[in-house]
Amino acid sequence: MKPGRRFLTRLSNSLTWKRNDQRLRVEIESHLAMETEANLRSGMTPEEARRQAALKFGAIVSISEDDNSEQRLRLLDDLLRDIRYALRQMRRSPAFTLLTAVILTLGIGVNTTIFSLVYHVLLEPLPFPQPERLYAIWARPQIGGNTRTAASGPDFIDYQDQSNSFAHIAAFIPDFTEPWTGDGEPRVVWCTGVTKDFFSVLGIHPLMGRFYTPAEYTVLNSSSVVVSYRFWKSQLGSDSHVLGRVIRIGGSANTIIGVVPPLPDLFPKTDIWATLTTRPSWEFMKWRSNKFLSVIGRLKSGVQPAAAEDELTAILRRAPGEASAVRVRLIPLKDDVVGPVRNQLQVILLAVALVLLVACINVAALLLARSARRSSEMAVRLSLGAGSERLQRQLLTEGLLLTLAACSPGIFAAWLALHALPSLNITGLPRVEGVHLNSAALLVTAGIAALTTLLFGWMPSLLFSRLDLASSLRTERTNTGNMHSRSFSGLIVAEIACAIVLSTCAGLLLHSYWLLTRVDSGFQPTRMLKVYLRTNYYGPQGQNFWKDTLESVGKTPGVSAAAVADCTPGQGAAIATLVFSDRPNDPNHSAPAEGCWASSDFFRVTETPLLRGRVFHPGDGATSVPVAIINEQMAQRYWPGEDAIGKFVGVNYTGPGRRGGAAPRLRHIVGIVRGMKNGAPDSPTKPTIYMPYVQDETYHDLASMSLFVRTLGNPLMLAEAIRIRIHAIQPDQPVDEIQSMQDVVSNSLAARRYSLSLLSAFAGLTLLLSAVGIYAIVSWTTLQRTREFGIRMALGATRAEVMAVVFRQGLQLSFAGTAIGICVEMVMTRAFAQLLFGVSPLDPASFCSAVVLFLAIGVGACILPAMRSASIDPARALRGD
Amino acid sequence: MQPKADVPLGTLALMVLRTLSVLGPLHGYGIARRIEQISGDLLAVNQGTLYPLLLKLEQEGAIRSEWGASENSRRARFYQLTRAGQKLLAKETSDWEQTATIVGRFLAFTPEDVS
Repeated sequence: MKPGRRFLTRLSNSLTWKRNDQRLRVEIESHLAMETEANLRSGMTPEEARRQAALKFGAIVSISEDDNSEQRLRLLDDLLRDIRYALRQMRRSPAFTLLTAVILTLGIGVNTTIFSLVYHVLLEPLPFPQPERLYAIWARPQIGGNTRTAASGPDFIDYQDQSNSFAHIAAFIPDFTEPWTGDGEPRVVWCTGVTKDFFSVLGIHPLMGRFYTPAEYTVLNSSSVVVSYRFWKSQLGSDSHVLGRVIRIGGSANTIIGVVPPLPDLFPKTDIWATLTTRPSWEFMKWRSNKFLSVIGRLKSGVQPAAAEDELTAILRRAPGEASAVRVRLIPLKDDVVGPVRNQLQVILLAVALVLLVACINVAALLLARSARRSSEMAVRLSLGAGSERLQRQLLTEGLLLTLAACSPGIFAAWLALHALPSLNITGLPRVEGVHLNSAALLVTAGIAALTTLLFGWMPSLLFSRLDLASSLRTERTNTGNMHSRSFSGLIVAEIACAIVLSTCAGLLLHSYWLLTRVDSGFQPTRMLKVYLRTNYYGPQGQNFWKDTLESVGKTPGVSAAAVADCTPGQGAAIATLVFSDRPNDPNHSAPAEGCWASSDFFRVTETPLLRGRVFHPGDGATSVPVAIINEQMAQRYWPGEDAIGKFVGVNYTGPGRRGGAAPRLRHIVGIVRGMKNGAPDSPTKPTIYMPYVQDETYHDLASMSLFVRTLGNPLMLAEAIRIRIHAIQPDQPVDEIQSMQDVVSNSLAARRYSLSLLSAFAGLTLLLSAVGIYAIVSWTTLQRTREFGIRMALGATRAEVMAVVFRQGLQLSFAGTAIGICVEMVMTRAFAQLLFGVSPLDPASFCSAVVLFLAIGVGACILPAMRSASIDPARALRGD
Repeated sequence: MQPKADVPLGTLALMVLRTLSVLGPLHGYGIARRIEQISGDLLAVNQGTLYPLLLKLEQEGAIRSEWGASENSRRARFYQLTRAGQKLLAKETSDWEQTATIVGRFLAFTPEDVS
């Protein structure tokens, strides 16, 4: 016996719709004829002979059915028939099919994309060996405080020498700039300086060549250089013979000795990996209170992070001048990287989960509504002998097909979005590069969608099996109506609640953003250009370059004023410590401020009003009395109720490259200006002190400043003219970082804009879906109540009264959903208070507008069904269709 | 007319194969008639099981069929045992004999046999 062969024959018969009915019929015919002949021979009348033959043979139909099921696979046959039937159903109601498919596609696509993104950014381990042992090391100077401080050179050397917890420990200075000259257009390159164990901490090996040798980490001005994968690829053309090539970085020749493999997760911007030497080292690295080093370490196996924290804390507390309450904290490196975006991503994740929920609810409602419409069809099929199990199977098949139709475009959309995301780079998210379709996310999302479709496609069949066939057939009405109506209303209320939550979130963010765009940052970003200039001047010889640049750019047609400064309004300024002459200076409670070296026209360019005193003038030269202008916040903070003008203050800078130690010169405060934000519009205006750039006795500012230009027209139109003028003064000066100040401000809000637009899109989507949902249920119940409306109208109800009944139903649903949604939102909104600006988490404007919006949607969705109910012809309705 | 017994479950295939093996190619009606005759008209072959069984045996390759003309030159489908069918028949026969032996022992069994 060969069951395999038989199965294959039947399978192929089933798939090719092959039926051998003809053969069976001929066989039956000849069988009957022979039987009849035999009967005739035994002496029956011809009629009796035929009758006996037929009787003996039995029911031909059931034989041919049995025969058929022997010929083919019964189950597969049914399945194929169900599929064909389901396809026919889909074709018959294209609007329903399309709507369901689009909703599911959106739900699956959006969810898979965001889940994959969030999974990759927040959860996927860093791509290094044993990533769970990698930690960022920070100090917290106060108990319970939120401020964290970096390490100074001596702190780091202490960690390195005295700690036993780490297999490797390293320090780095991320993202400083150097000019790159000698290869075409001079450019600014981004560097990360690392100490000798840095690459061992990460556990990576060079892509090409080698990393620095230990000896190279003891040379202050090393002439070899390791470049990043990105730099090698985009700037050196993926040159396979790049090793040994000489590039001029920071004015000196460097030989490329190695290429670092791609590290998109950690240092996406870095072009050059520079050495950061600890012994011997630069002056600023030996200065105990100059804390600017980021430290990372790889724990030895078996060492608990808490134990390492205790060890490092003990080491740090032994340092001279260190606060006794200081504690060292170990933050898992991944958390350190993604920490700033965690909250934002969680909110988006929550929002997107709500979108999926709403999409599923909507599909469920649509399926229920459709099944109600089909109850008479089901009644017919049941009464013609279809088994209820068979009906269930058919409905399941329909659900499955619908899911398939929705999943494939959904998956494709997600795949497309994830491919486009990293290159768009609109997100400003870390770790976006390398994001990929997450199969778990896909499975979960598609699974949820499939489950919904199947469940709600199949559930009605349970109701159908209890149908009262006779009455269903007679009136085309079914007694499943009430059950439907209740589950239906529940679904819609839940849907509206979800949509309300999302809309209120979006409203809160929108309100925040609107307030942010109206924040007065203290300067006028329109028609203002910023040109970042990185030079190789570390001494007084640089002053001529800046003087000539200012003069030349100031005379460019279209420029109304030009200034230089080492801070960028709306972006950043250096942190400084103030030293006073009129009070004791307590080293344990330093007086922080932000400092900025600027040229005399700086406040003319920013259009920041002078409140008192005077601005800088050309007389404030390198050799004259040191002066300073402070903002109102600084005057408020350090001289409350006093006149700050005429006071004296010294400014100490910290950070890499600074010269510390010596007491700073005391400066005469000559003016007070209106506060200007040194950060994004949502940052506070900090106390800031401005000083003439020519008066920096360390000449540190001369190495890198930005040129600010107030223009008459579009600032970017002047970029080329300014570049030419600067190159006329200094041909190998990189002038490639040109931005309008509007872009600077806009970039600082990019993350907010991104989450706002995502949330708004989600909110809009759920809004639309819930409108569809309300419409679906109201029009469905209206249809169910046609007869009732007919009776009402026959008894004298006006059209307006009938319409009011319909509207009442829509409004009831909206009210219930809105009330639940608002309650949920009031609890949830606290979770993302940190994303808000200037609005309370219970912002009445956002809440009220969401409520009004939803009531409007509730009414709007009822218009069509109400009009339909008003146009019911009582006579026809009463006759029962 | 004395009511005829139906063919015992599972033995029809054996009867069909055996009939074809002894009598050579036959059509469906012929098979049914012969089985009834050989049983001494004690059995009635249910056509509703016969034709699906023939189809099943053919799909399994135990028999093959082709169109031919009956004694009255009527179009009929003739079934014929294949080599695989002969093997199948041998196996079914020995299976049946074994079953019959076992059942026979049970029928001959008396209390003395186990004491």
